[in-house]
Amino acid sequence: MQRALLVPFTFLAICSFAQQTSSSQDSGIPQPQIKQSTSAEDSATAEDQKVSDRKWHLRLGTISVGAGYSRFSSPFYYPYGYYPFSPFYSSLLWDPYWGYFYPTGYFSYNDGKGEVRLSAPKQAEVYLDNAYAGKAEKLKSIWLKPGAYDLSVSDNDRASYHQRIYVLSGKSLKITAKLEPQNNLQKAEEKP
Amino acid sequence: MKTVSAFAMFWAGTLAMASSVGTVPRSAATQYPAHATNDQVSLGALKLNEQQVRKAFTSNLNRCCIVVELAIFPAKDHPANVSLGDFSLRTVNTENAVHPAGAKVVASSLQHKAGSDRPVTVSPSVGVGYESGTYTDPNTGRRQQAGGVYTSTGVGVGIGSPGTQSGSTEADRTAMEIELSEKGLREGTASAPVAGHLYFPVAKKKNVKYQLEYTMNGKIVVLPLPE
Repeated sequence: MQRALLVPFTFLAICSFAQQTSSSQDSGIPQPQIKQSTSAEDSATAEDQKVSDRKWHLRLGTISVGAGYSRFSSPFYYPYGYYPFSPFYSSLLWDPYWGYFYPTGYFSYNDGKGEVRLSAPKQAEVYLDNAYAGKAEKLKSIWLKPGAYDLSVSDNDRASYHQRIYVLSGKSLKITAKLEPQNNLQKAEEKP
Repeated sequence: MKTVSAFAMFWAGTLAMASSVGTVPRSAATQYPAHATNDQVSLGALKLNEQQVRKAFTSNLNRCCIVVELAIFPAKDHPANVSLGDFSLRTVNTENAVHPAGAKVVASSLQHKAGSDRPVTVSPSVGVGYESGTYTDPNTGRRQQAGGVYTSTGVGVGIGSPGTQSGSTEADRTAMEIELSEKGLREGTASAPVAGHLYFPVAKKKNVKYQLEYTMNGKIVVLPLPE
């Protein structure tokens, strides 16, 4: 039997009512493995994203719409009719979580980790628990193991930013590090 | 340059973190929506609404607790002995009152509740196609052309196992405990103003008014908490 599957296959929409954000990690972003710290500082500005109190989290998964064409040629008669009813047909062909396009786990969160979405000047240096993590431009999204971390952001001509952050698995923290220019700070100090 | 910078960051961070448990108290008790004073102490309190809790905490305290930010301003030469057992949250005009829970208890409660959640994913799919080909007719023995349109529809429902939600692992529990502990009101003797959060394990009800009560040397200070 010769069968050719062809296909303009279009995935229309990926809608999600997920309770946590599921933004994928940027490729090439380092994932510093940092020890947990117990030192303290208040982090009142860390935003907790999209939290729900419901026990059942209903999520609309991928809606897939496909179109296809196939051709068969066989010396035998199929008693069960044509393609859709043949023993070779499987609904898995239309399963969005199977096949070439979406490998297993494509939509899953970074397992057991939480995301820190950092907004800071591009050239600023980022430190986690006093260890250098990299430039801010490459650390827009950081996935960390659950725990408490001391986040510091510094730039040459600007005042440093310090924040105590708490990371939970599957949750996303949005941190905006606003670094004041040193000149402004000096002026402020000079004022009586 | 990077080494110097890292060194400076280390000390700056260390100094910043060293002394901070709880929150920074406002300049005076009167800066809080609810405040009261007696001859030994002034209290200021703020009952956090759900949005404020969400902003102030990574842990989802809205699931379990009413959170009150409290500041204590001891009078001169009258250090206050702060103990969680001295505080209670009472529903106004009732006998229902509850003491604040410790960070460990609250974190365990939140972990348990997160673990009981189940994500349900619904994935509908539709397909349409055309298939054609040839086959040998068993009656005539001739090759026949055949073809037709086929359609397919499907709905996949996936139910996640409990324990896959955020905040459900042991590491999460530890992180939550650290956060709640660091942001909570510190127990002990305070001779200077201190502030922190109290976590009352109370099921939230609408249109219910609460008051915070503080017992000090047998005297009760009452703070009605506005919404």
